[in-house]
Amino acid sequence: MSEETTVLAEEKDQSAEPQKWQPSILAILCNWCSYAGADLAGSARMQYPETVRIVRVPCSGRTDPMFVLKGFQRGFDGVMVLGCHPGDCHYAKGNYYARRRIALTQDLLKSLGIAPERFHFEWVSASEGNRFAALINEFTHKLEELGPFDGVA
Amino acid sequence: MAEIQDKIREEAKKALESGEVGVVIGWGAGSVPFKTTPVFIDKPQDADKLVWNPACTNNLAVYLTRWARDGKVGIVAKPCDIRSIVTLIREKQVKRENVFIIGLGCGGVVDTGLMEAGDVRMREITSLQWDGDDLMVTTEAGAVKVPAAQALREQCKVCHDRSPAISDVSVGDAVAPSEDLKIEIPGLSEDRQKYWQEQFAKCIRCYACRQVCPACYCETCFCDRIEPKWTAKKATTDEAWMFHATRAMHLVGRCIGCGECERVCPVGIPAVELARELNAVAKERYDFEPGDPEAEKPLLGAYKENDVDPAHHSE
Amino acid sequence: MKDRVLLKDKTGDFLGFLAERFEIVAPVERADAPAEFKELAESDVPALDGSKPMMTPKDYLLPRHEVLVKIDMAGGETKVETPLPEEKPRVMLCAWLADAQAIQVLDRVFLDRKFVDPYYSCRRENLVLFAVIPAEMRWSWFSGSVDDVETWKSSVDGLMYDLGDRFYIESTSEKGAELIASAPLSEASETDTAAKNKLWDAFKNTGLQPFAGKALYENLAWDDPIWEEMAQKCIACGMCSFMCPSCSCFDIQDETCGHCVERYRCRDTCQFEDFTLMGHGHNPRATQLPRSRQRLLHKFKYQHEQFGVVGCTGCGRCVELCPVNIDIREALNRTCVEPMEQKAEA
Repeated sequence: MSEETTVLAEEKDQSAEPQKWQPSILAILCNWCSYAGADLAGSARMQYPETVRIVRVPCSGRTDPMFVLKGFQRGFDGVMVLGCHPGDCHYAKGNYYARRRIALTQDLLKSLGIAPERFHFEWVSASEGNRFAALINEFTHKLEELGPFDGVA
Repeated sequence: MAEIQDKIREEAKKALESGEVGVVIGWGAGSVPFKTTPVFIDKPQDADKLVWNPACTNNLAVYLTRWARDGKVGIVAKPCDIRSIVTLIREKQVKRENVFIIGLGCGGVVDTGLMEAGDVRMREITSLQWDGDDLMVTTEAGAVKVPAAQALREQCKVCHDRSPAISDVSVGDAVAPSEDLKIEIPGLSEDRQKYWQEQFAKCIRCYACRQVCPACYCETCFCDRIEPKWTAKKATTDEAWMFHATRAMHLVGRCIGCGECERVCPVGIPAVELARELNAVAKERYDFEPGDPEAEKPLLGAYKENDVDPAHHSE
Repeated sequence: MKDRVLLKDKTGDFLGFLAERFEIVAPVERADAPAEFKELAESDVPALDGSKPMMTPKDYLLPRHEVLVKIDMAGGETKVETPLPEEKPRVMLCAWLADAQAIQVLDRVFLDRKFVDPYYSCRRENLVLFAVIPAEMRWSWFSGSVDDVETWKSSVDGLMYDLGDRFYIESTSEKGAELIASAPLSEASETDTAAKNKLWDAFKNTGLQPFAGKALYENLAWDDPIWEEMAQKCIACGMCSFMCPSCSCFDIQDETCGHCVERYRCRDTCQFEDFTLMGHGHNPRATQLPRSRQRLLHKFKYQHEQFGVVGCTGCGRCVELCPVNIDIREALNRTCVEPMEQKAEA
C-alpha cells in the first residue's frame, strides 16, 4: 500500500502543473460484496477514475480504523469503506460490528478537524457494479469540490 | 480528610491482617508535600504509610493488570479509578474476585501546574487540604486559599459521578463543587485541524500518556510493532498524529476520562479531549458509558440491528 | 575579563548585535508547553530569564528526529544525500547552567576522539554558550548536590544573572570575554556585582541534599533494595530520559517511502522494554528492575568512571515531571546516605 500511495503522491506533485488534478482515493472493499462489485464494474467496462486504490479485506468488519487514519496520514484525498448490506454479511454480523466502528471513526475525523466528506461509507453488493462506478465518480466529484487534502501535518 | 485517611489505613490493615489480600496499592506521601506517590503495602504495620489528600491524582488501576493477575490485591480508589477497574473487569483483564476495592467518595484532585502559575511558591508548600470549595495551601509564609476553579484538574470540574460505582468497602462521602465548572480548551473551537496539528507537533513520543493509562494494557502497542509499522518512532507531526488519533480510537468506549494522560504530558497535549468527545457520542448514540458496571459487553464488542447507520445511501 | 550589564529594556540592541555575528539559539515560549530552543526568527521573542520550564538544549543539538541519510532512486538514478546541518557561528543563550553542563556529557559521547558525530559536531563546534541564573531557582533544582558547580563555569563562555531590571553578564572564557567587550552593554557597578554574587550563592545552595559531596559513584550499590521499589511503581514511560538534558541514547531507523529510503535518528531510552531486546528474542534487561537501576547507575557511576563527569546535573525535570513521583534525589539519599549512617551507627 505504502508504495502505491507514494507513487500516487508523486503523481499528484506532477499534476501541480496545469493538467487537471484528480483526487486520490483509498477504497477498502469487502471481498464478498463491493470487491466483486468493483470487479463487475471493471469487466463491464464501466468508466470510473483510475486514481482509486483498492485494498481488499475479507469483511468490512476487518476494517481497522487505523487503515483509514493511515490513508489520511499518507495523504489520500479521500478514504472509502464499502461493505455488504446489513443482513447480508458473509460472516453473519461482521458488517454490524463495522457499522459502529466506522461511525465512530467518522466522529473522530470530525474531532480532528478533517472534513467528514472526505470519508465515505456505503453498503454495496456484488451485483451493484453500476452503483460502485457511480459511487467512485460521485466521491471523486465531491473531493474535486473540496480540493486537495492538505495533510495531517 | 484526616478521618478518611485513618479509615483507609484501618481497612487496609484489616485486609492485610486477615490475609484477604497480599498487598494494598494506595497513595503514599510524595517526595514533596504537593505530590503523592503510589505505594505497595504488604505488611499490616506499614498501612500507616497510606495517605489521602488533594494530591492523590494517580489512577492506580494502571497497576492492576500486573498485580492482580495471580492473586488478590487491595486497591485504594477514587470513583474515576473505580470506573477504570470496571472497564478492566468487563474486558476480562482483571477478575472481580481478585480485587478488594477500598472505594472513596471524592471532590476532585488538584492540578499542581495551575498552582505554580498562580502566586504560590512551590518550594514553600507544606500541605494541601480542601476547605469547602477552596484549596487551602499551607506554606511557610502562611496559608493561601485557591478557589476550586483554579485548583481542580479539568476532568474533576465536570466529573458526574463522585461516589464509587463498585467497592468492597466505601469510605467518605462524595463532595461536588457548589458552582458549575466547565472544561475550557482555548483554541479548540476555532480550527480543529490546525489546533491538533499544533498540539501533535509538540509530541516527543515519550509514551507517558500510554503508559499511565489503565486502558492501555496491550502487551505490544501498535506503535511498537515493526511489521507492519503503523507509525514510525520519529517525533514528527504526522507520525504523532497517527499515534494520537489511533490511540483515541482505541479508547472509544473504554476511556473513563480520568485525564491522567493529560496530567503527565510534559508538553501539555490534551490527549484525553479526543476520547472525551467520542465518549459523549457513544453515550448519546449507543447509550453506552465505559464506567457503568451494568454494561456487560464493550462498546465495540457489541451491536444492535437498529444502530445508527453511517452510510450515505446514495443511489 | 570585565563583567558587564545588560539593561532589560536594551535587550533588542544586544540581540541585534549578536544576530549580525551569529545564529542565535534561545528558548522561545510556546502555549501550554515548555519553551523550546530554536534558531531565532525575526518575529521570535526569546524567553531570556530562565524562570519558566523549558525543553533541554539537547533538543537543539541532538534533534528528536534527524535524517542522517536519504537515498532517492526516482527515475532510475540513485541520489545519496547526507543532510548535515550548516556550519556557522552560533550563540546559545539562556540555557540553565545545569543544562549547559549536561552538554559536557553529550560532548563526551558525540565528540569522542575515536568517532566524531558529524551531525552533532556541526551544531556544537563554533557554539558560544551563555547560561542563565534566574532570579529565583526552581524548587526541583539540586545541582549543588551532584558536583562542585564552581567548576561548571568553565563549561560555558559566560553567565547571565537575572537581577530584575538587568542581566549581569559574566564571561568565563576568552571567547565570551571578547564578545561582551564589544557588545552594546553597560558597565557593572559594585552593587550589581554584589547582587550577582548573592544570586550565585543561591544557585549553589539550592536544593542541597544529604547526599551532596558523598561520592555517589562509590556508594551506589548494584543490589540495593531500592531498585525493586522504584521498579514497582515505574510505569516505564520515557519521560525522564526524553526530558533529560544529558540522556543521549538514540535509535536509528530505516524507512522506505516509494522510491526513497530514509535513515533517521530518533530518541530512545533504557526505560523502554524494547531498548535491549535482541533480534533473536532475548532481552538482557527483561524486567523493569534492571532498567530502573541502569538509568541511575549510568548517570552517577558509569559515566563518572568513563568520562570523569557526573551524568546528572540536577536540572530537576525528572523530579518535577515523573508521573509516579519517583524522585531521583530521594533514591540517592536512600541508597547512599542511609547505609553510610547505618554503618556509622554500628
